[in-house]
Amino acid sequence: MEQEVERYRKPTRILHWVNSGAFIILFFTGLILFIPPLGFLAQDSVTRILHRICAVIIVVGPLIYLLTNWKASWKGLKEAFVWGKDDLEWLKAAPRYYFLCDEEAMPPQDHMNTGQKLWWFMVIVLGVVIVVSGVIMWAFKSTAPAALLQWSVFAHDVAFIAIGAMFFVHVYLSVIHPLMRPLRTGAWSSMARGKVSAEYAKAHHGKWYDRVSKGMKESPSAD
Amino acid sequence: MAEKAILYDATRCTACRGCQVACKQWNENDEIIPDVENGVQAVNRGSYENPPDLSPQTWLKIEFREVERSGKVAWLFNRRACMHCTDASCVKVCPTGALYHHELGFVAYNKDLCSGCGYCADFCPFNVPRSDRNLWTGVAKMDKCTFCTTPGLDRIAQGWEPACVKTCPTDALIYGDRDELVAVGRERVSALKAKGYSNAYLYGDTELGGLHVMYVLDDSPEVYGLPVAPQVPAAAIAWKDVIQPIGWGVGGLAILGLGINYLIAREAKLTRELPGKKEE
Repeated sequence: MEQEVERYRKPTRILHWVNSGAFIILFFTGLILFIPPLGFLAQDSVTRILHRICAVIIVVGPLIYLLTNWKASWKGLKEAFVWGKDDLEWLKAAPRYYFLCDEEAMPPQDHMNTGQKLWWFMVIVLGVVIVVSGVIMWAFKSTAPAALLQWSVFAHDVAFIAIGAMFFVHVYLSVIHPLMRPLRTGAWSSMARGKVSAEYAKAHHGKWYDRVSKGMKESPSAD
Repeated sequence: MAEKAILYDATRCTACRGCQVACKQWNENDEIIPDVENGVQAVNRGSYENPPDLSPQTWLKIEFREVERSGKVAWLFNRRACMHCTDASCVKVCPTGALYHHELGFVAYNKDLCSGCGYCADFCPFNVPRSDRNLWTGVAKMDKCTFCTTPGLDRIAQGWEPACVKTCPTDALIYGDRDELVAVGRERVSALKAKGYSNAYLYGDTELGGLHVMYVLDDSPEVYGLPVAPQVPAAAIAWKDVIQPIGWGVGGLAILGLGINYLIAREAKLTRELPGKKEE
């Protein structure tokens, strides 16, 4: 009865949680610089060292994953960049779904729904912006032209604001939104245990579930 | 309170570098002597100028320039240190409040608060702030001229003039109310013009909202290696005045929006669940 489908493999889940930990520390050690009265926390470079340690983790983690899971990585990366008609339909139906809990109009979704894809897309693109501008500020502080350093700070900040705001949305829609309660269904369990009930998969990721249940030959866990 | 300033008259400067020494002595900034024993080899750079650049220990230095003027060599001297801008980019971008405006107008510095981010150095139009930076950890502490207002070494609070001014033997450096010094500077510039120095210029009168170190020059600023019409970098304005307020707006709206969504969706879910329990 309690049939379950694997949604995220162990390496993917480890990567997710290591990165979330690093992200949260990076987020708050960066946010301090937005709030001058909290400047004393950054005194003597303490938070900057923490920021750098987590920066290394958040860059090296995905690189290791990429090298050891290149097939899943490739598949996962493609997911963020392939968009279709159903995505448009999803965006149209999303407000009714998230505000009124009305699922009728939701089009069938693949392994990731449009909202998840949007977040994933932003993580990739803004992640690159943040990493590149961060590397410039870290390693080329005394060699790069001043204008490059100045606009790196700017780019780092823009990406921080966008990804920071979306981070709240991500956490909210994953574990706080009324539709995501109780926790043992859906989003939380897919990332905590890696599995979701077949029922959930059918209802929320119809296209993906069809594929997975038909040909179990195909790796059930895209990533 | 009337703003104070330093007026540097390049035409009176003999480049004795007493100001460099007084600055180091008062602010307790030792310099290592370039010596093999100290791990530094003295280098002949073909100039009396020394040391080669500003550093965390050198907040002030006199630059030497040889330029050609109507077939003759002119030996020009220029004072290099923090300009204490009114529109100071460093104060704008300093995220911890370590750099701030003194009530008398200068850019004062609370070194304890410095996080070592180095934004002040990245954005300074005069390339003045310096720090020794560890490449790997990024640990750094910035240093620059504080207009002799460093806590514990505060000459200004004592009613004294800055150490560099005090020691200057030719009165190339004078200290006083900014308004008065502007008047003195303009007078000297017109005197220079009357003598035939047609490019004579009072640098710092209007630059960046008015500098608190002004320069009487007998030639145009670029001849003295000073930036013509220095500006607060566009990136500083785009970042601090545009993006950061937007950031607060976006963050606030996101949290507010999610809160509202929660209240509405919870209602909707409860209503839906009333007839037959359909859990999602």
